[in-house]
Amino acid sequence: MAGMIRAELGKLLGLPTARVGLVLGVLIAPLLVLVNAPATRASLADGTFGDPTDLGFRNLGIGLLGALILGVVSVSSEYTSTGEDSPGVRQLTVTLAAMPDRTRLLIAKATALVAVVTAQGVGTATATLGLTELVHGEAVPAPSPARVAAAVLYWVLTTLLAFALTLIARNGVVTLTVLILNSSVVSLSYLLYKVTPLAAYLPDIVGAHMFIRGMDLAERIPPVTAGLVMSAWVTAFLALAAVIFHRRDA
Amino acid sequence: MIAIDRLRKSKNRTRILRDVSFEARPGRVTGFLGPNGAGKTSTLRVLLGLDRPESGTALVNGRPYASWPRPLTMVGAVLDGSGAHRARSARAHLRWVAASNGLPRGRVGEVLDLVGLAGDARKRAGRFSLGMSRRLGLATAMLGDPPILVLDEPVNGLDPAGIRWIRDFLRTSAAEGRTVLLSSHLMGELAEIADDVVVIDHGQVVAHGTVAEVTGEHRTLEDAFFALTAEAGRTWPA
Ligand SMILES: Nc1ncnc2c1ncn2[C@@H]1O[C@H](COP(=O)(O)OP(=O)(O)O)[C@@H](O)[C@H]1O
Ligand SMILES: [Mg+2]
Repeated sequence: MAGMIRAELGKLLGLPTARVGLVLGVLIAPLLVLVNAPATRASLADGTFGDPTDLGFRNLGIGLLGALILGVVSVSSEYTSTGEDSPGVRQLTVTLAAMPDRTRLLIAKATALVAVVTAQGVGTATATLGLTELVHGEAVPAPSPARVAAAVLYWVLTTLLAFALTLIARNGVVTLTVLILNSSVVSLSYLLYKVTPLAAYLPDIVGAHMFIRGMDLAERIPPVTAGLVMSAWVTAFLALAAVIFHRRDA
Repeated sequence: MIAIDRLRKSKNRTRILRDVSFEARPGRVTGFLGPNGAGKTSTLRVLLGLDRPESGTALVNGRPYASWPRPLTMVGAVLDGSGAHRARSARAHLRWVAASNGLPRGRVGEVLDLVGLAGDARKRAGRFSLGMSRRLGLATAMLGDPPILVLDEPVNGLDPAGIRWIRDFLRTSAAEGRTVLLSSHLMGELAEIADDVVVIDHGQVVAHGTVAEVTGEHRTLEDAFFALTAEAGRTWPA
């Protein structure tokens, strides 16, 4: 199993796209802290910002894009064609020939991904929150370690969700487009929330309650509940993806 | 030793394998011969645990491929191309495959030497020519120094020098005692490489035996092949 995890780590970190995701994820959020600094300072001063302890965490969100890329690419790289002259050939053939036990393969893959993305999440959170404190000083109270840990957990769970969805769709472009549109342009769950407050518990929006205090929704979900609900969603999607992956011809 | 027993499989409600049975033995090159669409690739994919049959078994030294803990030390397989991600160097590709089966890193250099790719180790797989991809696929198959080799259409599209290189490589492998199973739709090529032949058409094995046995009364293996497959009703317009 250790060899399989090492293989999957090497595979993931060897992909240029994954490296872009790794670096992008770490750099983009701290950068945003600096870019937004003047506007944020103004809204903090006139009191329109809301809960000031949310500040660093809100900036963290954009870096999640890098983690999503890692989650998607970890799977989609298996399914992209490896050559024009042989469109049916994919890395997955070699992967399954080397690691034919599909359950163990998925565990190794997910473990490697979680290791990389946890490191990325910790690094990004430290940089972003540290920089926020440096830029805004007293105006933003220092966040509790539990809240930082919750943010990193959210980061990892979202990545695993992207991993599971890509495994079901077998296509990275589709999954990444849907995930990015849903998180930046219009969230289906937010739209649904206008119909029923239960939509606040949907996988893409429930997790943020773990560490953001001033959510845009009226619905208040305690952090621990939010963490459990999101973990349950992610587990369910992973299980579904695993079952489909087992039944499907490679 | 490879033992395929009454494999049956459908795709899109069409039977593509109808009770396919045959064996491939150590020290011999077994040619799996059939026209395009006959079911060669489908059979080999079931053998490697990539696809699931409806019924029947495919065993590698008595056990299904997927049940071997470090399968690359038992079977080396090349299914069309190298399977290396285009963005990866040949060396990076071989390194992760070696790690997955607990093989020493030193094997990577050895197999690159073996297939004559030592000078291209850092080159990205996406830049490889067809012949180089085929060699990289073989290098991957040889990482675990397996007693069994399975190759799908290994000479397809290669230039004469490439074909000759593969032929010598496979003959040498069999001479070393390995079991070599290769598929092809080119009977001329196969007659020169194989000891035994299994002829498949429309998902059914229509003949098997040594090259001499299958050729039988016919002038060449090619004539025998057309006679065997014509019985199944396949004709090209004149
Ligand atoms: N993914 C697929 N979906 C539907 N039919 C397929 C698929 N793959 C192969 N087939 C069909 O199965 C038959 C056998 O194909 P294949 O095993 O690739 O033949 P060969 O390798 O001998 O050329 C063909 O009729 C082909 O059209
Ligand atoms: Mg084929």
